[in-house]
Amino acid sequence: MKRTSYLVKEALANIRLNQTTTIVAVATTAFTMACFGVFLLLYLNLRGLTTSLQDDIKVVVYVTDGVSAQALADLMTRIKGDREVAGLVYVSKEQALAEFREQFPSESYLLQGLGENPLPASLLVTMAHPSRSSEAVRRWSERLKAMPGVAQVQYNREWIESVGGIVRYIEWVAIAVGTILAAASVTIIGSTTRLTLYARRQEIEIMRLIGATGTFIRIPYLIEGAILGALGGALSLSLLKLGFEFLKLRLGTQSHLLGGGVAFTFFSGQVSLLIVLTGFLLGSLGSFVSLLAFERVRA
Amino acid sequence: MIQLYHVSKHYGGRLALSDINLHIEKGDFVLLMGASGAGKTTLLKLLFGTERPDEGQILVQTRNVARLTSSEVPYLRRTMGFVFQDFRLLPKKNVFDNVAMPLLVQGASHHEIRRKALEALKSVGVEHRKESRPAMLSAGEQQRVCIARAIVNGPMVLLADEPTGNMDPQLAGEIIDLFKLINARGTTVVIATHNRQVVDQVKRRVVTLSQGKVISDEGAGR
Repeated sequence: MKRTSYLVKEALANIRLNQTTTIVAVATTAFTMACFGVFLLLYLNLRGLTTSLQDDIKVVVYVTDGVSAQALADLMTRIKGDREVAGLVYVSKEQALAEFREQFPSESYLLQGLGENPLPASLLVTMAHPSRSSEAVRRWSERLKAMPGVAQVQYNREWIESVGGIVRYIEWVAIAVGTILAAASVTIIGSTTRLTLYARRQEIEIMRLIGATGTFIRIPYLIEGAILGALGGALSLSLLKLGFEFLKLRLGTQSHLLGGGVAFTFFSGQVSLLIVLTGFLLGSLGSFVSLLAFERVRA
Repeated sequence: MIQLYHVSKHYGGRLALSDINLHIEKGDFVLLMGASGAGKTTLLKLLFGTERPDEGQILVQTRNVARLTSSEVPYLRRTMGFVFQDFRLLPKKNVFDNVAMPLLVQGASHHEIRRKALEALKSVGVEHRKESRPAMLSAGEQQRVCIARAIVNGPMVLLADEPTGNMDPQLAGEIIDLFKLINARGTTVVIATHNRQVVDQVKRRVVTLSQGKVISDEGAGR
C-alpha cells in the first residue's frame, strides 16, 4: 500500500462511511451551484445578446450636400485612420434613395414631388470594441462634427447607455449572487468534513500518536471535500442541462431572444469544466476551513 | 538516551510532576511505579511529546522535547514506540494494516512495509491473525498487535503505559516477557505500571513516583 493510494483510499472510505451526509452534501452543493448556474447561463446568454447588439451600434455621419469628391475622400481617410473606428461604409445619395424605396415602398411617392433627391449621402461607421462606451462615442462624435464636410452625426446614445448599464448590472449581481452561493457551498461541504472529522477523531488521534504529520492526516479530508465539490459541480451541470433542454423544447428549437437573432446556448466545454473545477475548489476550501477549526479545538 | 532536568508539570492548579531529574541509559529497562495519580502517565506523555513541561528540559536521544515545535513532534514519535493500556488500534483496519501504519506514514516502500510488518507480527506471535479486525481479537492478542506496531520501526525507545492493565497474571506475564525480549535486542524500555508482578518478573531498575515526585530509584545498572 503506497502512501498516495492510501490517502485516496482513505478519502473514498470517508465518503463511504458517511453515505447519508455525502449524498446530502453533494445534492445541496449541486442545488446551490445550479442556482448560480441558472444565473450564469442567463448572464452569458444576455451578454452574448448585448455584445451582438453593441456590434450593431453604428454612428451615421451625414455628409454636407455638394461636398467635393476630394473633400469626401479626405474625410473618409481621416475617419478610417481613427483608432476608434472598426469599419466604414459610404452610402451615396442614390443608394440612400434606393434603400428608402426598398424599405418603405408605399411611402416612396412622398419623394416624387420633390424632384431632386433630398436624402443626404452618409458614412456608416462601426466603432471598434474598446470605443463602444457611450462616453467614447460621444467624444468621438463631438470631434467629428468639427470636421469639414460633416453635416450631422447621429447615434443612439440612450440605447448604448442602457445596453452598457444592463451588462454592468448583471455583472455585479452575478458577483454578489456567486459569492453568497459559493460561501453556502463551502459551509455545506465544511459541515460534512466536520462530521467526518468528529466521527473519526479517535482514529485521527491514533494517527498522530504513531507519527503521522498534520499534512498526512489532512490530505484525505481535503480530497474528500474536493471530490464532493466536484461531484456537486457535475450534478449541477446535469441539472442545468436538463432544465436547459426542457426550456428549449418548450420555446422551440429555433428560439431567439427578443428577436435579436441570438439563439440560446448552453455552457461551452471550457465553462462546464470550470464549473466542475469551481466545485472542486469550493469543496477543498470547505474541508480546509473545517480542518483549521478542528485543529484549533484540539489545540 | 533519556535525560530529564528539573521537570515540572501542572494541570490547572494541580501539580502532576515536580522537579523531576532522571537519567535513563541506552538499553535500560525502567519500571515507573506508583499509585494512580502519582505522575507515571504524565512522565511518559512528556517523553512522547503529547504534553509539554511547564519547567525543565527533556532530552530524548539528541532532541530537546521541551522545545520541539508541533510540526517536529511526529518525527520524534517515529523514533519511539508507545504501547497503550487501551491498545488504540484502528478499528476499521485489519491487524496487518495497523502494524504497517507507522511505516506507511514515513513513506516506506511497499516491499519494506510488508517485510517489517510481518516480522513484527511474527515476533509477538500474532502473524496468523494478520487479516483480522482488532474487535475480533482477545485483549492479549490486541496488546501484542499494539506492541508489534510500536516496534515495527525498530525504535530506540519503547514506552508503555500500564500494558498489563486488566490482564490476568498469566497473560500479563507473557506480555512482560515480550518486553524483556525487545529490551534484550537493545531497545530502551520504560514501562509505567502499578502491578507488583511486573516488578518481580522484570527484576530491573524501578523508579517510584508519589504525588509527582521521585521518591525512590532502585536497581540502576541491573
